[in-house]
Amino acid sequence: MDLPVAWANPISMLLFVILGVAVWSIPKSVLVPPEFAHQSWRDLRWWATGLILFQIMLYGYFS
Amino acid sequence: MHPIDLTVVLVYVALITFVGLRLSQQVKSARDFFLAGRSLTWWVIGLSIIGTNVDTNGYIGASGNAYSIGIAQANFEWIGAIPAMIIASLIFIPLYWRAGVYSIAEYLGLRYNQAVRVIAATIVTTVSVFAMGVAMWALAITLQTFIGWPIWLGILVSGTVVGLYSISGGLGAVAITDSIQVCIMFACGLIIVAIGIQDAGGTGSFISKLTAENPTHLQAYLPADHDGYPWHGVILGLGLVLSPAYWVGGQAILQRTLGARSQWDASAGMMFAAVAKTFVPLLIVFPGLLALVMMADIEYPDMALPWVIKNVLPVGVSGLMFVAIIAALQSSIDSSINSTALMITRDIRHVLIKNHNPESDLKIGRFLTLGLLLAAMTIAPYIGDLGGIFNFLQFLLSLFQGPMLALLLLGALSKRATATAGICTLVSGVALAGLLSVVIELNLLYVAFFTFCYALPTLWIISGFTQPHSDEYLQNLTYSPWSDR
Repeated sequence: MDLPVAWANPISMLLFVILGVAVWSIPKSVLVPPEFAHQSWRDLRWWATGLILFQIMLYGYFS
Repeated sequence: MHPIDLTVVLVYVALITFVGLRLSQQVKSARDFFLAGRSLTWWVIGLSIIGTNVDTNGYIGASGNAYSIGIAQANFEWIGAIPAMIIASLIFIPLYWRAGVYSIAEYLGLRYNQAVRVIAATIVTTVSVFAMGVAMWALAITLQTFIGWPIWLGILVSGTVVGLYSISGGLGAVAITDSIQVCIMFACGLIIVAIGIQDAGGTGSFISKLTAENPTHLQAYLPADHDGYPWHGVILGLGLVLSPAYWVGGQAILQRTLGARSQWDASAGMMFAAVAKTFVPLLIVFPGLLALVMMADIEYPDMALPWVIKNVLPVGVSGLMFVAIIAALQSSIDSSINSTALMITRDIRHVLIKNHNPESDLKIGRFLTLGLLLAAMTIAPYIGDLGGIFNFLQFLLSLFQGPMLALLLLGALSKRATATAGICTLVSGVALAGLLSVVIELNLLYVAFFTFCYALPTLWIISGFTQPHSDEYLQNLTYSPWSDR
């Protein structure tokens, strides 16, 4: 179990990238009701993407 | 306490009580009481989730931990929360909404059987009562430290204030007051950051002072041989099992999403909470680092935040910060009381008493809220003596997390999982967790991960030999967004 701590941040960032791919594989129609389809800000995939990118930045900075 | 600080505290107590009581006029049924009449908007839900999540340990304990281990403490807010919150928002909350349930235990009852529902509700309820007692005790200790009130008076006053709006207003009052409380918490957090950075001579100076004596305090992960938080334990145990179990299956957290005015508001509420959660380290980690930079003269790490309040913040702001700590504690207590009352009323009473009258749910819910509050207030003064029991209950809950997450994941994302497999996996998974932690004395982070790794294939395999529910029955109880293209 004596794995180098230097692996931790890249692994975390990789997990966030995988999560981002999974998020964008969910169709918009499942997440946004038809009446709001023209309002991009209601697409929660963009919210998730912003969060994921910020997390990747944090784990990149605090490495 | 300075008269200006005391005035700030009194204004806060009056505001919260007024808002809570005013909202109570909207409660006409059990649905209003437990789910706020399904009227909550996304931003109220998001703020309320954060209010419920940040508790005593979050405020005082996390600052103390940050003092000791540095920014690694923020993993509980980042990798230990954000991925699970995104998954909850996009997959599980829409599912619970479609199922039309009041609680996660109710979902498990529908997806598997009523035995799983009662077991889940009973374990969470039992732990919650003691957790509320601990929170009440912590609140009384805080009041004693800052105002000098005796413990019994702190418990009586804080219990009365929480009770006034929780009993009458239900989830609606709890969610709105939580939102106000979180705004106060963030305002105070930002003030501490601004004053702290300024006193340290700017961001660059703050960082160099911090890392001069503590070179690892700005590293997100600790080495693999660290006793408390080895990096792979944090990623595997916290990130992949404990955090999803909390954010996908925690009743107190998810209840406000079930009270949303629409499915989109429910999902957006959790996503908004994740945005706020990203910045929670500013509130609870930064004060610990600031105490270190300012070379605080403290006996033990948990004194970091009280030291910052006393020595860094000006008059008036320190009163507001004191209010923020009270708010964090109150918002956790009120949410636990409401969600526990819901589980006893519906998930235990409705299953065990066949001739129950649903019309009486509101009256019983209010009665239980009062009863739970009184129980927590009664237990609170003795929590020091009951520490062993509470630790045991926490231990019991941790045994439950791995298998429960497997049941939720496979139950939600596959039609294969059966009722018989669910019970077998739950019982054997908890037994394995007990074995790993008691006999092998494995760190609980690893126990959670290994029992989850055991439970997932076990549930899958046993389900292959037992009778599943029909596809038609499972239509609203399983969710696979990728197949809906």
